[in-house]
Amino acid sequence: MTKVSPGSGLGAPPASGPSAGAAGSLLGSRQRFARRFFAKRAVIPASLIVAAVLVAGIFAPWLAPYDPLDQSLLDTLQGPSREHWLGTDDLGRDVLSRLIFGARIVLIAVAQALTVAVVLGVPIGLFIGYMGGWWDRIVMRVVEAVVSVPGIMVVIVIITVLGTGLTKAMIALGLLFSTAFLRLARGLVIAEREELYVRAARVVGAGTGRIVRKQILPNVAAPLIVQITLTTGAILLAEAGLSFLGLAVQPPDASWGTMLTTASRFINLHPWLALPPGIAIALVVLAVNLLGDAIRDSIGRGIGETAVLRPGAEGAAAVSAIAGHPSPGPQARADVPPDAVLVVSSLHVQFPSPRGVPLTVVSDVSLHVRAGETLGLVGESGCGKSVTAMAVLGLVPEPGAATAEAILLGGDDVSEMSRRDLEHVRGTQAAAVFQDPTTSLNPAFRIGDQLSEILRIKRGMSRSDARKRAVELLDMVGIPDAAARTRSFPHELSGGMAQRVAIARALSCEPKLLIADEPTTALDVTVQAEVLALLRDLQRELGMGMLFITHDLAVVADICDRAAVMYAGEIVEQAEVTELFANPRHPYTEGLLGAVPQTAHRGTALRSIPGVVPQPGEWPTGCRFAPRCPYATAECTAAPIASVTQDTHLFRCVRAAELTLEAAQ
Amino acid sequence: MLKLAAQRLVALVPLLFIVSLLTFSITDLLPGNPAELIVGDDATQEQVDLVHERLGLDQPWPQRYWDWLTDAVQGDLGTSFFNSVEVTDAVLLRLPVTLSLTLAAVVVALIIGIGAGLIAALRPGGWTDRAATAGATVGQALPNFWLALILAVVFAVKIRWFPATGYTPLTESPTEWLRSITLPAIALGTGAAAILARQTRSAMVGVLQTDYVRAARAQGLSSRRVVLKHAMKNAMLPVVTVLAFQITVLLGGAIIVEQVFAVNGLGSLAVTAVRRQDVPLVQGVVIVSVIVVVLTQLVTDLLYGYLNPKARPS
Repeated sequence: MTKVSPGSGLGAPPASGPSAGAAGSLLGSRQRFARRFFAKRAVIPASLIVAAVLVAGIFAPWLAPYDPLDQSLLDTLQGPSREHWLGTDDLGRDVLSRLIFGARIVLIAVAQALTVAVVLGVPIGLFIGYMGGWWDRIVMRVVEAVVSVPGIMVVIVIITVLGTGLTKAMIALGLLFSTAFLRLARGLVIAEREELYVRAARVVGAGTGRIVRKQILPNVAAPLIVQITLTTGAILLAEAGLSFLGLAVQPPDASWGTMLTTASRFINLHPWLALPPGIAIALVVLAVNLLGDAIRDSIGRGIGETAVLRPGAEGAAAVSAIAGHPSPGPQARADVPPDAVLVVSSLHVQFPSPRGVPLTVVSDVSLHVRAGETLGLVGESGCGKSVTAMAVLGLVPEPGAATAEAILLGGDDVSEMSRRDLEHVRGTQAAAVFQDPTTSLNPAFRIGDQLSEILRIKRGMSRSDARKRAVELLDMVGIPDAAARTRSFPHELSGGMAQRVAIARALSCEPKLLIADEPTTALDVTVQAEVLALLRDLQRELGMGMLFITHDLAVVADICDRAAVMYAGEIVEQAEVTELFANPRHPYTEGLLGAVPQTAHRGTALRSIPGVVPQPGEWPTGCRFAPRCPYATAECTAAPIASVTQDTHLFRCVRAAELTLEAAQ
Repeated sequence: MLKLAAQRLVALVPLLFIVSLLTFSITDLLPGNPAELIVGDDATQEQVDLVHERLGLDQPWPQRYWDWLTDAVQGDLGTSFFNSVEVTDAVLLRLPVTLSLTLAAVVVALIIGIGAGLIAALRPGGWTDRAATAGATVGQALPNFWLALILAVVFAVKIRWFPATGYTPLTESPTEWLRSITLPAIALGTGAAAILARQTRSAMVGVLQTDYVRAARAQGLSSRRVVLKHAMKNAMLPVVTVLAFQITVLLGGAIIVEQVFAVNGLGSLAVTAVRRQDVPLVQGVVIVSVIVVVLTQLVTDLLYGYLNPKARPS
């Protein structure tokens, strides 16, 4: 019954920063708080309930229709009526009047327990937090001991000493909850103490008291208010429980807890009695908790949980065919070679937006990868490369949706597959290696188990065969002492080793296509070269196709046969790598080439493309690169630009014929 | 795992020591002379002195604590002030009742809490999420003893599915035990279920967005396997931390819920002891509950170590 909200105790301190005293910023943050606070739907009804309890408690003698102690043995245990709106209890006392006077008990109980808890907990917490050393250690040991005992036991021990009664019980509750405030204040001080400005103030020679008053207290205030609100709910429940047990409020006084004691005795005869006080307690606790949550969320920054509403992870059957006819696209199918392991034609990916108009992040992307070939997918971050790759696996993150004329993996159309078929194709037809190896391996399982699970499930191997094969796979990707390494957890591996494991996992079902999504970006430079070499060797050995996503043209030159350059959700140029580097036909490609140290002309300054990639939804109507393009003219911005293919070189630029762009050296 | 268990066990000794010290001091904090309390108002001074001596209250404090501690370590928690009942016997008689109620409530909390949290996390912002979150908010606000009353009225008095009061030991009749424990366990476990549901939801929403979940899907593992195995083991980490704390809360809550269903567990023993200021009995109840709490914490620590390889001693 003691919900000393574990999350709210030792969270990060609120960061009001050194300028906490500045009137302007304080006012600003207060307004911001108020705006966020009142924007929450539950706040107004919750405030009304709390206000009602305050009014009922304060004005009880004027509001209550009867004296709460007046007995009338002729009208016992009656249901609601005109005379008694909420009926009468076993002694004929008016339930409504007792409920209203009970609100007064609620106010007294909360005030008493909170006062004890705050007055005791906060100063001691500030003190031991500031002093540290033995003070801190001894007090914290005692606090840990108290917290490890069920809260009601602590209260029972204290009531044994003090005796029963509302005030005594509330002192006991206050003592119990003071531990929460103590830990809160201590945690905040310890965090604050490390702050530079406190150290600075100390050097200047300000007294301890002054530091606490001027610099620590203002920062303690916000989390303290949150803790007070959250504790209030716990106190309400605890008081009701203790009164119910007969340890707090004593009969005949009316409290919601004692009213329930009465109700419990007549529960068979007259269950109605249990409803008014029970609903009253639940409503008030609910209101106080909701206010606490709202305050915590509105103060924000570091305290408690924040509701995450990012797109979910499941992308089951996220790819669907464009209604009916998977006919060849305008420029898609004609040049698709028969040995293609991946064919994407006219892929579009959209996300719903708050404004209702779906946001397009990938538009009309067509590409193919042949067996044994590596296609580089190049572009700045946010251009849609990774989403394109995920669409191939039917894993566009929710709530996004992909549509395509066709996405063929080994001849089968992913966009028409059921979830079960999709799951079958993933791993066996196409598998993926991701950017950050330390996060793409599951931290909770041994790497050998992660590999052999896939082998058992996807390839139907026996346990022992799978274990043997896992060792072979690790050996194949160059992990020394592979047999022993199967017992390792991911956190015990270096980044390079972890990426090798991830590659082994991707290759475990011998896929025809490997999707490598910036597989070297998160690694050290020396390790990058090793991993690239490994990928190249494995590809040659296994004869698989590779879709290699990168923002680094140097890597493209190193490993790819062909490359597709993406900008703002569409492919702007696609060609053999040698052709692309020697004869770029799109100004964006030229810009990228000029920005790469290895390919830029020696003796000239490295160039960067001015401006940034426009966000989805802010793409210009005409050429999407036009606003950043040094060669842009009026015709570029007039209408969407169609792509043109000359031989095997595709580009999307209306001025391609007139421009002579600078090649890589 | 054994190493972790040993480490944790050793760390728990000082905690038990401090708790014993704190509980033992209540005799001395009691206003007036406990001897007077025992013999009653009419007793003569000689009678008071006699009891005073019999309780060893004439001894210095450290001596009395040492005597009590040596006895306690051997399982003797003293004798009640009011009758010659051995505290150890009285507590051990009631403990299985409270423990089985607490455990049943933990099961209720785990099933409802993790289930609801999981369902909510699969579609963040969807109607199941909103319903589960709203349910958890309400569940946290319901007083457990009131919920107990309502459940008793509905399911024991109106529709007679379960007995309204009483407790049947598991050893006597497993089915009757289940019937007698169901309503109290639901009443007790609902609050914890609400907290676990919130925790599970937020942990699961986070885990489902991780790279390793995406990688597992990309490798073609089924959705069910990815969620229930790969994501679950990671999402349960924060949940176990909260669970450890909630078990303590449930053990305390059992004391109140027992009263509603007239189940003779530690609750009624504790309440009577407090009313009479029967210090040895209160001490006994507290010490035994702390031992239970400490043991459950040990179990949850080991569970945490199992779920999180990084927390294991290397």
